[in-house]
Amino acid sequence: MKSTVLQNCNKCGLCLSVCPTYKVLNQEHASPRARLQLINFYKDKKVLSSIGLKEIISKCLMCGSCAAICPSGINHYSQFMEMRTKMRHDHGEKVAIKSLIFLLAKEYRIRLAAGFAEFSQRIIPDNFIEKYNLGNIPVKKFPKLNKKPLRKAVPEIISPEKSKKGTVLYFTGCATNYAFDGTGFATIKILKQMGSEVIIPEKQTCCGIPMLFHGARDQAEKNILINIECLSQDDVKAIIVDCPTCGSALKNEYPALQKQLNLDDTAVQKISSKVIDIMSFILQESDHTDLFETSVKMKVTYHLPCHLKNGLKSSYNTEKILREHPGLEYIQAEDVDECCGGGGTFFYEYPEISKQMVATKLKNARSTGAEVWLTDCPVCRINLSGNLKEKDNMIVKHPVEML
Amino acid sequence: MLDSKIRNQLEEIVGQERLLEKPEELICYSYDAYLEESMPDLVLLPVTCEEVSKIMKICSSYKIPVTARGAGTSVCGASIPIKHGIVLCFSQMNKIMEINTKDRYIIVQPGVVNIDIQKALEPFKFFYPPDPGSMNVATIGGNVAQNAGGPRCLKYGVTADYILGMEVVLASGKTVRFGSRNVKDVTGYRLSGLFCGSEGTLGIVTEIILRVVPLPETIKTILVTFDDLDDTARSVSDIIGAGILPVAMELLDKLTINAIEDSANLGFPREAQGSLLIEIDGVKEACEKEMQKVIEKVKANNATSIKEAKSDKERDELWEARRSAFGVFAKLAPDIFSEDVTVPASKIPSMIRKTVAIAQKYGLKVGILAHAGDGNMHPMIPADKSNKEEWERVEKAFDEIVEAAVSLNGTLSGEHGIGLAKTRFLPLVMNEDSIEFMSVIKKAVDPDGILNPGKFV
Ligand SMILES: Cc1cc2nc3c(=O)[nH]c(=O)nc-3n(C[C@H](O)[C@H](O)[C@H](O)COP(=O)(O)OP(=O)(O)OC[C@H]3O[C@@H](n4cnc5c(N)ncnc54)[C@H](O)[C@@H]3O)c2cc1C
Ligand code: SF4
Ligand code: SF4
Repeated sequence: MKSTVLQNCNKCGLCLSVCPTYKVLNQEHASPRARLQLINFYKDKKVLSSIGLKEIISKCLMCGSCAAICPSGINHYSQFMEMRTKMRHDHGEKVAIKSLIFLLAKEYRIRLAAGFAEFSQRIIPDNFIEKYNLGNIPVKKFPKLNKKPLRKAVPEIISPEKSKKGTVLYFTGCATNYAFDGTGFATIKILKQMGSEVIIPEKQTCCGIPMLFHGARDQAEKNILINIECLSQDDVKAIIVDCPTCGSALKNEYPALQKQLNLDDTAVQKISSKVIDIMSFILQESDHTDLFETSVKMKVTYHLPCHLKNGLKSSYNTEKILREHPGLEYIQAEDVDECCGGGGTFFYEYPEISKQMVATKLKNARSTGAEVWLTDCPVCRINLSGNLKEKDNMIVKHPVEML
Repeated sequence: MLDSKIRNQLEEIVGQERLLEKPEELICYSYDAYLEESMPDLVLLPVTCEEVSKIMKICSSYKIPVTARGAGTSVCGASIPIKHGIVLCFSQMNKIMEINTKDRYIIVQPGVVNIDIQKALEPFKFFYPPDPGSMNVATIGGNVAQNAGGPRCLKYGVTADYILGMEVVLASGKTVRFGSRNVKDVTGYRLSGLFCGSEGTLGIVTEIILRVVPLPETIKTILVTFDDLDDTARSVSDIIGAGILPVAMELLDKLTINAIEDSANLGFPREAQGSLLIEIDGVKEACEKEMQKVIEKVKANNATSIKEAKSDKERDELWEARRSAFGVFAKLAPDIFSEDVTVPASKIPSMIRKTVAIAQKYGLKVGILAHAGDGNMHPMIPADKSNKEEWERVEKAFDEIVEAAVSLNGTLSGEHGIGLAKTRFLPLVMNEDSIEFMSVIKKAVDPDGILNPGKFV
């Protein structure tokens, strides 16, 4: 997203047409244009801070679709984020979200919360389970924590399988590190096959997006500084992410925060230019078809995460690979690029709205008859799989696990 | 502020969920795509005609101003509640009631978005021709109230040409229906023409019967470029003058093309002073013949290149570029101002010359964009509203552009409407008696002046 501070919102309303909350609620006060106008009114002191104002600002998936379509090039993201910080300051945060931020800000706390001895538990703290029922998703459907965090299970430096074709850094993200190690193992395996030396910087930590989305900029800042430090390595050709949200953080949000947080500009720009999602990286390497293990034909469908589309601007790469793969029969769902309603923590903050979004996704995915539903984003994955029924006989995976 | 007794009566009609009264909610209904804003006292989101009728009964007995709102994309401030009171927002009254392509009509509630009508008709290979640039957002109620047009209205006509019937709640709360499911219908006054384009000042539209038409067999699209803007404009008047009827004929000048190329590299010729995007549709043979005639005309006017879209994809790209024009222009400065004056096709070359001269006189940049086939000009001026001195120049330039159009037998607005933006110009095109006649109608239908007060009548 370009940071065109200069432009004013001309209130054309075009962003309404792509906003998932507007599409479900059909209310101006659930639209990107309204959020921007309220931010302006608030800045001009024409409306006071209130719980109601906070509610309108937060009832947003931070999906970035509004910014992607805006003819004036407004950077909704940074405006929303700043406003969220103010609203959090004025009105605090729900206990549940506070504890999530607390956990993610210092990753070892996740391990503490889960208990040292028995690591294979659910990631959600108890007070979540009782109080919120986690939106529409039965708690038993949440992913279990990995037996061991991925980064503890593999060495920091991994050699390529054949002759070395360069070094890449792998930013694993919290979800892969703690809950979806299958994605991590598959990513590492492919990178090795491609001849990459893989470095998984040990010090890396949560990208900071969950804190930023909830206006906890101070907590995010510490994480950002750590990540910049350990990702600033020369001689690496790419920084691989498997999670599009982490990817957009490194690619867009760190540069957007550069001035405010006084970050090292060169380092931030360098990282930003090297970030790429694993599927696009595979596609970029010309001989990627060697990587496909042909086996039994399997019917798959796909959900395009908003942050892959709007953040990393990589809307077609995953689908391209799925189509090329001889072992997969790819059937596109009608609404492949519609938001699933997961949106970070949106799905349990606004379950009623989220439910309507995911219902259409489920209907269209079912009608493809696929056995596996692929999606690159861990939150989408939790949301989609959590809403599928037993009888659907469909599992949700990261596309890299299917190669 | 509204008396709490009245508020409670209104709440009984729509329920708590669809009544908005907190300041942070009211703000969201205080603006549209025009420059001004004004706070309503209350916002209601009705979903049935009965609700609207009950609301209007209460409002008329207490003489409370009522401003209807669709998606709030009016660029003339038509949906801004300038006299406060109640905003009736129709975004949730959005059901398609009946699709009947055998009899070629569709019945919709006012909150249905234009694009959703198109999507609903597509499986039947039908479409609804009026295609305003805002069609992905704007509601049909707003389209009707503004008599919206778009590129393909050159051949197919505007919203008013597609209204077969309507259900309207009057200021008194009484519900009237007129028209029918028939294309031919001379039963009584053709009242759709009265309400269509009335900008919500005469009644609240609660249901519309629209005429729909089959999708054409073939569509051909070309992009033509010229070294001279005058040649470009003259091609347009020549094509129209020769009795050819393209679906659309969009004119873009050099500045506009370059702004598009800067943002999306589509290979548009940057050197060309003027470009025309021309589309023809119909039966294959006829289409080819007409296109041949078009090509003759542009060649006679020194066209430098003619590129035909080879596939649907290429065609979409050309249109995508055209649609992006407003947006890419908006990026040139903090604010953008766009005009909507319209002149007879033969006057297009002089209108363009005058526009360019006016902008030069005031030291402003101007991009010329036009639904040229029907003379509907959209000159765009990028500027900074917070720069007072520049803003004054912009205002003066627009005044002169309007005067220039009028001097060429043109009119104030082709499709964007009068609203708050152009009331002061009305005397330029209407004499006193004509303006008074509109007030007579207004008084007869809305004696207390509660419907969208403060606008052009
Ligand atoms: C980017 C952009 C491009 C545009 N392109 C075009 C174009 O190509 N052609 C064109 O004609 N216009 C265009 N417009 C202008 C605008 O989109 C149209 O006027 C549109 O018809 C407004 O629809 P809306 O639903 O947003 O109505 P609103 O803006 O909400 O309301 C417009 C008027 O309709 C009245 N109204 C709304 N609903 C009802 C109802 N149910 N009963 C009675 N009155 C009602 C309102 O009171 C108001 O006076 C454009 C606007 C933008 C921002
Ligand atoms: S699309 Fe951009 S300019 Fe238009 S209303 Fe939305 S934010 Fe404003
Ligand atoms: S980020 Fe997504 S949900 Fe939020 S306002 Fe923009 S489009 Fe709507």
